[in-house]
Amino acid sequence: MRAEMFRGVPWLALLVLAAVGICAAGGEALLPFEPGELDLGAAFKPPAWISGDWASPLGADNLGRDILSRIMAGSRVSVIVAFYAILFSGGIGAVAGMVAGYFGGWVDTVLMRLIEIQQSVPAIALALILAAALEPGLPTVVLVIVLTYWAWYARIIRGEIMALKGRDYIAFARVAGVGTARIFLRHLLPNIFNTLVVLATLQVGQVILFEASLSFLGLGIQQPDISWGLMLADARQYITNAWWAITMPGIAIMLTCLASNIFGDWLRDRLDPHLRQL
Amino acid sequence: MLRLFGRRLLQGLFSIIGASIIIFVISRLSGDPIVMMLPNDAPLSAIEEMRRTLGLDRPLWAQYLIFIQHALVGDFGNSYRWKMPALQLIMDRLPATIELAVCGLLFSVAVAVPVGVMSAVNRGGWVDRVGRVFAMLGQAMPAFWVGLLLILLFAIQLNWLPAFGYGSASQFVLPAISLGWYPVAAQTRIVRSAMLDVLDSDHIRLSRALGTPERLIVWKYALRNAAIPLLTMLGVYFAAMLGGAFVVETIFAWPGVGRTVVEAVFARDFPVVQAGVMFTSILFVASNLLVDLSYGLVDPRIRDAR
Amino acid sequence: MAQSLQRIAAAAVFSLPFLAHAQAPKPATGSLAVAFGAEATVLDPTHSSAGVDQYFFGQMFEQLVRTGPDLKRLNWLAETWSVQDAGGKPVIDIHLRKGVKFHNGDPLTSEDFEYAFKRQSDKKISIWTHLQAAVERFEIVDPLHFRLHFKEGDGSYVASDLTLWAMPKRYMEKVGDEAFERAPVGTGPWKFVSRSVKEEIRFEAFDDYWNAEQRPHVKNLTIKVIPEDLTRVAAFKTGAVDWIDAVPPAMTEEFKKLPGVVTASYVAPNNMYITMDSVTPESKFYDVRVRQALAHAINVDAIIKGVLFGQGQRYVEVGIGELGYDPDLKPYPYDPKKARELLKAAGYPNGFDTPCYNLTTPREPYQKEVGEAYFAYASAVGIRCKVVGMEYGTWISFGRRERQGYVDGLYSNMWGHGLPGDPGTPWAGHLHSYVPGKGWGATSTYSDPEMDALVEDLKREMDIPKREALIKKIARIKHERVAGGLTTYRPLVTFAWRDKVTFKPWPMAFWRSMQEIGLKQ
Repeated sequence: MRAEMFRGVPWLALLVLAAVGICAAGGEALLPFEPGELDLGAAFKPPAWISGDWASPLGADNLGRDILSRIMAGSRVSVIVAFYAILFSGGIGAVAGMVAGYFGGWVDTVLMRLIEIQQSVPAIALALILAAALEPGLPTVVLVIVLTYWAWYARIIRGEIMALKGRDYIAFARVAGVGTARIFLRHLLPNIFNTLVVLATLQVGQVILFEASLSFLGLGIQQPDISWGLMLADARQYITNAWWAITMPGIAIMLTCLASNIFGDWLRDRLDPHLRQL
Repeated sequence: MLRLFGRRLLQGLFSIIGASIIIFVISRLSGDPIVMMLPNDAPLSAIEEMRRTLGLDRPLWAQYLIFIQHALVGDFGNSYRWKMPALQLIMDRLPATIELAVCGLLFSVAVAVPVGVMSAVNRGGWVDRVGRVFAMLGQAMPAFWVGLLLILLFAIQLNWLPAFGYGSASQFVLPAISLGWYPVAAQTRIVRSAMLDVLDSDHIRLSRALGTPERLIVWKYALRNAAIPLLTMLGVYFAAMLGGAFVVETIFAWPGVGRTVVEAVFARDFPVVQAGVMFTSILFVASNLLVDLSYGLVDPRIRDAR
Repeated sequence: MAQSLQRIAAAAVFSLPFLAHAQAPKPATGSLAVAFGAEATVLDPTHSSAGVDQYFFGQMFEQLVRTGPDLKRLNWLAETWSVQDAGGKPVIDIHLRKGVKFHNGDPLTSEDFEYAFKRQSDKKISIWTHLQAAVERFEIVDPLHFRLHFKEGDGSYVASDLTLWAMPKRYMEKVGDEAFERAPVGTGPWKFVSRSVKEEIRFEAFDDYWNAEQRPHVKNLTIKVIPEDLTRVAAFKTGAVDWIDAVPPAMTEEFKKLPGVVTASYVAPNNMYITMDSVTPESKFYDVRVRQALAHAINVDAIIKGVLFGQGQRYVEVGIGELGYDPDLKPYPYDPKKARELLKAAGYPNGFDTPCYNLTTPREPYQKEVGEAYFAYASAVGIRCKVVGMEYGTWISFGRRERQGYVDGLYSNMWGHGLPGDPGTPWAGHLHSYVPGKGWGATSTYSDPEMDALVEDLKREMDIPKREALIKKIARIKHERVAGGLTTYRPLVTFAWRDKVTFKPWPMAFWRSMQEIGLKQ
């Protein structure tokens, strides 16, 4: 039974995700250097295995800041952004989807129209204008992602709920006079839980890429906060001088996205195979 | 069928109007275009006057009503920065964006279909393995980084392909890859699972039993049926391409709507932002409508089911 | 020498029947593609709202005087001009050059400048009407002679090349403003052919251009617009274009070593400075010692070398080549110890915390990184920065007193102007105290009646030597008091072209003028 449950677990992917989690949770204590600390003398110090030293194994950026420390500090921002973005977009989307799917009628119509409006505005355009309207920074990035992704959750959860509603036991519960709140919590939520977990896992990579796009356009995470997307976007100016300055955060993004997608795929196959169209 | 189409059209119009309100309100909260239009030493009176001229002194709802009234007859106002009709500016740039989005989509489908088919038929083969890694990387690298790496390799190092520009076929290659790589993984998955279903179906088994060559079965009969789920998603992917164009166009100096809107947002050039986003929304809605319509035509079962 | 002899010989052969045009040069041939990192929005100089517009209209339109490659002022469309005195009020008397033609063949006359003056004074057309505010009337003496009568002195009028652009009155009245934007006509060396927004603009050399010596030697010119640095570099390296502007500072060294490539760096007409509220008594920077501490704290030379790859020129109040440049004015030396002492003397032995606003939209290369470096140096002596990033649209409102009041803390700032430049107008904006509604001190962080009087004098002064002396005087006081911000550097912009191209940079359009560009035979 146990062996069955863990069969094919993508250990490598989990390892990467765990490493990101530890870096993020460990906070400043783990950092070799203060990530904002400038040392113009050490600008573009190459990684240790080329001609640098093990004090900053991944080398230094244009202002002589230790890249490893910045990637570790950036992991915290990435995890925070992903956590809140997923929590709120998943939460709002799940509630909206459940309400729309369960009650149907005008509630459903209104929500579906809202979802359609949401999906007809190019996400990055909305994000851009919103980030310009509010102060760009971490909360704005989260808000923008939530506004973009809640509809994605809502649409899928609505479909699931509509299918569930037709099941006998829900109908029995209703006839038996079970309260709506109880039906939601006891009968609907547990049934969509797997779907939510799969969607959330798959969203991690999307959040990271979305933040990187915003950073490229100058409206993502703002200094002195550090995010991988911001490091990547800033370092592109020195792509021919110091390839490591752009490649290292790029690899961090790549590994994290790959790991969360692989893990998400595995979860999907395990928990909710009919979600394969996502 | 016609009735369904009419209803979808109405819903689409509703979405576009909703989108226009959202963009209108948020963009007006995003800052004052006038300080960016007037020189630093312009007196306050000039600022007030400019605000009146542009109608920005009115309440927001009144501004919106005026905007929509004009927009309905195709007048989105003059660009603050370009001194020409915003609509013209956007319409001139629209073909380049549509072409890029279509090429991006073609690239993704051209990769996803063979990889999806091969991985369903021949699991663990080299096409499956390489293809799946390739597909996954697209979902793991920001498009602008991909674009820069492609320029570095194929333009600067190898000098095989042009790094920028719009016009010739070779100029489409790098932007289309940067844009189209992202959805490859999802499309591969769709094709693969649809293929697995179809290959398992009775009529394919029957054809096999009748001795139809396997190649024909896979690439003709099975794929034709397996293509439908992909087709139904193409509208969504086309929309994603339009969104991605905002970043990719900047990298490749592509003269499209995305870049125009990005720069207009920074300049607080509201008429251009509004016209640009509204036309992208129209494209979104239109592409979804087209897809709805086309798979209704392709597959009678779907048509009847609705 | 040989080339010019050849040209004279050729001219003599071809123009024998038209001796009046004995110097008409051989028409240019060949095609050239170049790439700019940014593009103009409008093509009519009267509609311009930003310096970048000059990139395109500066190739087609001309003024009465122009700054030459050596930064000396040349008479251009004006054959001669002088500032005269008419009963206590200044008059600028101008004689136009003979034989100047517009691209459509119309001759240039005084009426065209009167028309230009009217449009540049019309609030519906131009946002720069305040630059014409001191002109009382425009007097046409004859088709090639006119006078500008001033209500009062206006030094900036002289400083900005007499402000007026030659506009073809007859043509414009015929086609209207909107059509003119799509088919502009000027007197410049390049004739408009076509434009595709966000993509390119095409020009053709104007064969009837009046200036026989300084003119293009290639027939067709295409300017591509490529904002992303690496892409622009790739366009050059792959041979798609043969000339690029704004080589990324990090790549200038590499470009200098490329075989068959010529590079040249010039100072961009932008003056970077750090500013701080010196008006509000509660501001930490109200005390001159704190401002001086900041000046000693920041190692500008190290930033230029390390962050900008040498692509910056340090300046003290007034840049090299600018009117009133004073080589004796030396920057505050980098001296963190002195900075800490000054802070202590000002009552901050342990330093203090302050917000520090950084512009994150790169208006100049690596501006964000430079800001980070400024604030790191400031923090090191005890002016502990809490860095706040700002996007351009927010930042530009931020600097303006009538919307923001005085801002607590430090923020990076800049002031752009023409070349070689004159600090009169910038100082009126950020050194003069803020006077609501009057245009004085719109972005000011300083207030001092003595300084106000000097800046106002400078605004009126039209005599160049007197202006120069006054500028030097103000600069000294400004420097001592770190008034109106701490001046740091002027960015350098690097151009690169293949050696088959001949190119002589003119400061028009911020060194992007294609006045003298050609292909080697």
